Amino acid sequence: MISALPIYLAAGKVDQIAEKFGLAWPKFLAQVIIFWIVFAILKKYAFGPILGMLEQRRQRIADGEAKLEKIARDLAEAEKNAKAVLDQANSEAERQIKEAGESARALAEKRQQEAIHEAGQILAKAREAAQLEHEQLMSQLKREFGRMVSDATSRVTGKVLNADDQSRINQETTAQVSL
Amino acid sequence: MSFLPIPFPTVSPVLASGVHSYASELFKEVGFLGFLTNSVVVALVVLGLVLWFSRKATTNMTLVPHKAQNFLEFVVEFLYGQVVGIVGEKQAKRAFPLLGTVFIYILVSNWFGLFPGVGTIGWGEATGLLSIKAADSPLLRPPTADLNATIGLAVSAFLVWAVLTLREVGVWGFIVHTFGPKGGLKGLMGVAVAVVFLFVGVIELVSIVIRPVTLSIRLFGNIFAGENVLHTMSDLLSAQGPVLSFFGSVALPLPFYFMELLVGLLQAIVFTLLCAVYIQLSTTHDDHGHEEDHH
Repeated sequence: MISALPIYLAAGKVDQIAEKFGLAWPKFLAQVIIFWIVFAILKKYAFGPILGMLEQRRQRIADGEAKLEKIARDLAEAEKNAKAVLDQANSEAERQIKEAGESARALAEKRQQEAIHEAGQILAKAREAAQLEHEQLMSQLKREFGRMVSDATSRVTGKVLNADDQSRINQETTAQVSL
Repeated sequence: MSFLPIPFPTVSPVLASGVHSYASELFKEVGFLGFLTNSVVVALVVLGLVLWFSRKATTNMTLVPHKAQNFLEFVVEFLYGQVVGIVGEKQAKRAFPLLGTVFIYILVSNWFGLFPGVGTIGWGEATGLLSIKAADSPLLRPPTADLNATIGLAVSAFLVWAVLTLREVGVWGFIVHTFGPKGGLKGLMGVAVAVVFLFVGVIELVSIVIRPVTLSIRLFGNIFAGENVLHTMSDLLSAQGPVLSFFGSVALPLPFYFMELLVGLLQAIVFTLLCAVYIQLSTTHDDHGHEEDHH
């Protein structure tokens, strides 16, 4: 009986507190039900869609970042390829220029040689022609000189020279002039 | 009794005769409506506000958010980040709906109590056609100033805590976590430590059991005290004539409204963070103990 007294007292205190603060099961349950309805509303209409949207946006940003990295990688690769193509084209162009230069030099050399050869031939021909002309002139001069000697001889001697004399005088004169 | 819609020019804001420690029943005479108190009315209004804004914010959602969606995204993302920071990613997925709801519900309830008319419009001794001497039975009272609601919140949080804990560590895991000796000592020292930890476990169990009480009374006490402060400051010059009474009832409580805004936010944070910490404490696995067992 004595040991149960604190329980009675405590029960009385609880009743007093409950009365003072208006604690009652119906009011308590009403508040709990309203809270859980708010919970259900927020979970269905707020947290679910919003977290889904945030996740979707996060995913989109991550995809964008990944695409951006891929684009950067592709760009670097493309630049590298372009550089390689340019380098190859440059070296090819240099090679072709070098080959063209060498070819041009060889051709020029060839043409020069041909020109020199041709000029030599022209000079030789000219020399030959000059020589021939010189010889013709000399021959003509000799004949003229022989004739003049024959003529002078016939005038000096007063003798009409026959064909044999003239021929002999011409030959002697020519032989003298040649020497 | 007369209902009081309070037109402003009639008198200065009507003051309750004193802030009751309980929520007033609106239909005392109708037995089955005994649950319908002024705090239940506000709770229903809060429910309606939450439903309206949630639907507004999440209807026609787009990747580039509209204003309401942007605001709700900000709130949810911020809260989720805080919850993840405390309970971890795994538990956050399970615990966040409750913790987020607790925060939003408490915050909206607390701040709703600061609207003019809450606690001052109601039934009381009539002094005119549309005026009363004081609202003895206010029409509106914030749910967080009703112990029924705060206990309901705390018990709900406690139940979710229990479910999450038992799902994560199981009944035996919880018993071991609470009463089991730590430190891996063997022999006589191990027995002594086991006795100490058994005692500590009992204390821990008591602290767990009284958590709903501390959570609910802390919240109720702060908001109820705030209501009293605002009421007292509003009533300070009530005996100094109509002009001073009007001036005092408007100007004197004004600074305390800002304080109550802060208190309302802080209490929502405190309640939510404590729930999160309780969940974190009981769902964290004792890895060190396991490691020592393996050794």
